[in-house]
Amino acid sequence: MAADGVIHVVGLHKRFGAVQALRGVDLTVAQGEVMGLLGHNGAGKTTLVNILSTLMPPTAGTASVAGFDVAGRPEEVRRRIGVTGQFASLDEQLSGHDNLVLVARLCGASRARAGRRADELLEAFGLGDAGRRKAVTYSGGMRRRLDLALGLVGRPEILFLDEPTVGLDPPSRIGLWEMVEELTRGGTTVLLTTQYLEEADRLADRITVLEAGRVLVSGTAAELKSRAGGGFISFRLEPHGDPAVAAEALRLAGLPPGAETARGELTVPAEGSADLATVIRVLDTVGQNVTEIRHSEPSLDDVYLALTGAWSRDPVPAGPPRRAGVAKARRHTADPRETV
Amino acid sequence: MNGPRTTAPPAGLPAQPHGPRREPAGKAAQLWVLTVRQIRLVYADSRVVLFSVAQPVVMLLLISQVFGSLADRSILPRGVSYIEFLLPALLVTTGIGTSQSAGVGLVRDMEGGMVRRFRVLPLSLPLVLVARSVADLTRSGMQLLVLVVGGHLLFGYRAGGGVGGLVAALLLSTLVIWALIWIFIALAAWLRKVEVLSSIGFFVNFPLMFASSAFVPVEVLPGWLAAVATVNPVSHAVEASRDLALGGQAGSEVPAALCAGLGLMLVMMLLAFRAFRRPPEE
Repeated sequence: MAADGVIHVVGLHKRFGAVQALRGVDLTVAQGEVMGLLGHNGAGKTTLVNILSTLMPPTAGTASVAGFDVAGRPEEVRRRIGVTGQFASLDEQLSGHDNLVLVARLCGASRARAGRRADELLEAFGLGDAGRRKAVTYSGGMRRRLDLALGLVGRPEILFLDEPTVGLDPPSRIGLWEMVEELTRGGTTVLLTTQYLEEADRLADRITVLEAGRVLVSGTAAELKSRAGGGFISFRLEPHGDPAVAAEALRLAGLPPGAETARGELTVPAEGSADLATVIRVLDTVGQNVTEIRHSEPSLDDVYLALTGAWSRDPVPAGPPRRAGVAKARRHTADPRETV
Repeated sequence: MNGPRTTAPPAGLPAQPHGPRREPAGKAAQLWVLTVRQIRLVYADSRVVLFSVAQPVVMLLLISQVFGSLADRSILPRGVSYIEFLLPALLVTTGIGTSQSAGVGLVRDMEGGMVRRFRVLPLSLPLVLVARSVADLTRSGMQLLVLVVGGHLLFGYRAGGGVGGLVAALLLSTLVIWALIWIFIALAAWLRKVEVLSSIGFFVNFPLMFASSAFVPVEVLPGWLAAVATVNPVSHAVEASRDLALGGQAGSEVPAALCAGLGLMLVMMLLAFRAFRRPPEE
């Protein structure tokens, strides 16, 4: 089991009527690893988690969790996993405390031990004050925290987090991230699905990108980013500068910029920060002064868009995308990692 | 939650090693925990409890006045008042409405909620349904008691069969209602949509209730309806309950009703377990 990974998936297919949700997924997650499963809506993330957490059997292929086949020995799998879904799975009419006690007792704890465990988890998740209130009165963030706490009652070895921060406000999201980071420090193996690259980048040791039921690419965040090339240099000219002159000069220098963005920025694909000096020098030579210039490393957005774009247009993923179109995509990135 | 908790992970969070793997709770303990939960949920809203418990008294009041005025003494068994005829039947038919609400409750429970989590816990899934049926049965039990007390206070009802006969009628009705609850639990586990369940529920409810000997003797029904009423298991249950409560000849109807009730319950339980195991499809 250790050699094959705590989670081991081979050739997994799932069909719902006419819809092929999974089309041959292979995945291995090692002990203590955090695997980020990244993909659009409908990419198959939730279906994969549902199969791994024994909610539904696969149509074809095999999946094992902690060494047990999910279809053949679901009861063994259920003793070792915790699940937090997109939809908070709890009793609204019961208090947070009673929800936790219920699950703890079903997991075999005595009444006294279940009560202690509930108090521990409420405290740990900042729900100590709300613990005796009905869950129906909780905010979205509180429900998510209670849901995560419910998934941890049985001290799972493997934790499935299916889009745990969807619909949360930024402070709640960051709070949940911190909790997941605490968990993973304790050695829990985690499979996390998300649509947010930032989330996968922050929490996951490795990332698997799913697209239309297939694995598009798998690797560390750094590996995936390296596939998107060296990043970009973005700059803005002084108000009386001439973008056409600047663009022509850069093109002659072998660094052709993309179209000017709405913010009046020009963006040049770059190999690294060495190109930064070149850009400044070239612009200086033609008398164009910049008010603002920075080098951004490629984000997972770039990787994702490059790979999924290549996938939908071309069955053979293209090489590192040195293309002007990427500059546009950059504007959607919430958190560009800037170096200047 | 973004408070000043930046130090070591608090106790209880997985910084602690995964201790020795605990055995999941035994089946008896699981059933107990699940039933207590379900009872708490069934009685969570006191208004719902109040109105559902009062409901059979309203039925008694209205049906006794509407049909009682029509029911000629001559069509009733000799020496039996309409209340004496009706009340033991209501003990059974009251359960039809309750069992439908049990089905609706199960569907709501299955939409997200805790039942979703139960499916990934080391848990015997059929017990979730058994717990549900028991919790709803307690509510039916309360309805039956209220019905008997209400009948006594409003109409001076006394069972001809004495306390023993009345208790026997209550026990038999409870068993039959349990079987009816399982019909709707099976439907709910299969259909999984409140709207569908409610619209189908009507087609199960009304024929069971009215194409029976509950409100008038079978003999006065039109021929085709009498034929339906004769094979309706509710008729057998009603006749048996009536026999016991009236203290009359507790003849062949009691064993027939017991067999029908138990058989129906067994079949519906098996169907419900199967349907409930089906994974949620999204």
